[in-house]
Amino acid sequence: MDMFPYRDLFVSEARGHLSAFSELIVHLEESSGDTAAIDELFRHAHSLKGMAATMGYEQIVGVAHLMEDQLSRVRSGELQLLPALADLLLEGGDTLTLLVSQVESGSDLFEDTTGLIERLTAYDPTAETPPPVNTNPSCESAATFQGSAVSAPHQFRQTDSFKSIRIKTETLDHLVNITGELITNRYLLDESIRLADAVECWEPLKQLTALLRNLRDQVFKARMLPFAVIAERFPRLVRDLARKQGKVVDFQIEGKEIELDRGILEEIAEPIVHILRNAVDHGLETADERVMAGKPHGGTIKLTVRRDKDHVDIIISDDGRGMDPDHLKLKAVQKGIISPERAAQMTAQEACQLVCKPGFSTSATVTDVSGRGVGMDAVHEAVHMLAGALTIQSQCGQGSHFIMRLPITVSIIHALIVQCGQFEMAFPLTVVMRTLELKHSEIIEEHGGGLTIRVDGSTLPLRSLRRILYLPQAPETEGALLPVIVCDVSGTLIAFEVDRIFGQQEIFVRPLKSPLSYLRGVSGATIAGDGRVLYVVDASALA
Amino acid sequence: MSRTVMIVDDSLFMRKILRGILVEKGYNVVAEAASGIEAMRNLHASHPDIILLDIILPDSNGLDLLASIIGICPDSKVIVCSSIGQAPVIQKSLDLGAKAFIQKPFTPEKVAEVMESLED
Repeated sequence: MDMFPYRDLFVSEARGHLSAFSELIVHLEESSGDTAAIDELFRHAHSLKGMAATMGYEQIVGVAHLMEDQLSRVRSGELQLLPALADLLLEGGDTLTLLVSQVESGSDLFEDTTGLIERLTAYDPTAETPPPVNTNPSCESAATFQGSAVSAPHQFRQTDSFKSIRIKTETLDHLVNITGELITNRYLLDESIRLADAVECWEPLKQLTALLRNLRDQVFKARMLPFAVIAERFPRLVRDLARKQGKVVDFQIEGKEIELDRGILEEIAEPIVHILRNAVDHGLETADERVMAGKPHGGTIKLTVRRDKDHVDIIISDDGRGMDPDHLKLKAVQKGIISPERAAQMTAQEACQLVCKPGFSTSATVTDVSGRGVGMDAVHEAVHMLAGALTIQSQCGQGSHFIMRLPITVSIIHALIVQCGQFEMAFPLTVVMRTLELKHSEIIEEHGGGLTIRVDGSTLPLRSLRRILYLPQAPETEGALLPVIVCDVSGTLIAFEVDRIFGQQEIFVRPLKSPLSYLRGVSGATIAGDGRVLYVVDASALA
Repeated sequence: MSRTVMIVDDSLFMRKILRGILVEKGYNVVAEAASGIEAMRNLHASHPDIILLDIILPDSNGLDLLASIIGICPDSKVIVCSSIGQAPVIQKSLDLGAKAFIQKPFTPEKVAEVMESLED
């Protein structure tokens, strides 16, 4: 029988088993008494073995068989799932994943598994060093895995049925583009109908609007995936890092079921990995340091996903050493990133935001863990490219919060449309805090020449959008009110003076191509109702 | 008329392989089920002549499911699929009324052989 037609199905199903497998091991290491999870783990190894045997992949069968053997000893209570065995099983899972990838690529050259097979066969539980005994009874809970308490219990294999089909992501992207163009077109049509005063078209237009809204919702729903899709690997990542660093970490994930656009999930996974790495490596203290500081010896890292109207917040919190704003300011001044005067004016929260500046790194030594990959500046940029916002809150000695506020969908966003000279610009609502109308007399000229305004007792810098766009200043009209938009730019409030605020609109953002993509302060464009191009403002680049 | 078959296995991969083998041998696969619930639902709708039942399913005890199937469709012949090392389960399912068993991993020839053994 020709097995080739079944290869893709084998690969995708095997991957499903393997990712559930790793997740369950990390879970079980913390709550070893969960017999249902042990059974489940065993079943994954067993199913994979059966599938591989059917396909004739002997090497996969060999490794899976030995893993299954060790797991059956865990299941019978003969063995405990101690860290060394968990390491071995995770390594086995990794090797199997590699083998499955080799199957997928069609290569005959398989990974050498002899070393792993020897170690799996020779695994001796008596050689295992027992986990450090916790002398402080109040810390007991820190060692238990609480992820399962807040999220759904471990995943059981999902059943496939004919009610769902696989579809190329390309096709979905296409659907989104067409839907976006249709929405743009509706605005064009709306404008023409109004101009022609074609009353008889109002009702059909109304219906078209409702249908388009429905279409948009359905298309976006098709692109949405639960956060769990990218979250699966995080517990393993944190566990491995913590083990490498000799730290005890309780990692919790909340809100895995919340859905986001596939494109956003794709872009945000790496930034989250970076923040988690930082949290384990720099954020959390060693057990000894923590005890000295009067904290439980194990640290906690919490990843929370929360939906709020038209955006999602992804929050990564740790209860580690936090950041020292004075230290950050000093570093930034030394590196020439900010002036000493600016440093003196900065609030503690603004100082935390300094870690997002390119070239800023506070760690004295570049470690294997956090010294590579993307820096916080890249994290910041990734969030902004998604029309989102990154805020860092930290308290020295208490820990840090990294808050990423993201739109739910990538390309259709809610924006505030403003006018400035001959341009119309769109401010994504994720960054707009409020709008104001000011009298000229309310603008304060500072000594340095900068302009500020007072809002609710605090002083905000005021930037003129006209000046940013190199437009001549508008003539001052006696008694006229100036429209101002207050934006949260990475935790700092900045006011932008514009000519006119039109209001809120849903826009379909298209990326800009070269040379327009080099424009500072602009992250995309959309077509307005009258056919003109409308630019989407990246407020962070204008601050 | 070719014999109708329902395949019950939580693995899509296994279902497709079995379907491939059976169709090639001239059987008519009228239903597939990935869970016990789905199996029961399809059973009422399709009344297959033969049911290939994976004894390990995520949502139900395979033996209980076997008993229900035989209770509802006594005329359907059930073949139990299981892995090596599950001799006690195989014996129990034969006691409950399963007509034969197939051990995983299987070859197409083995599947065909077991299927044909039911014809007698």
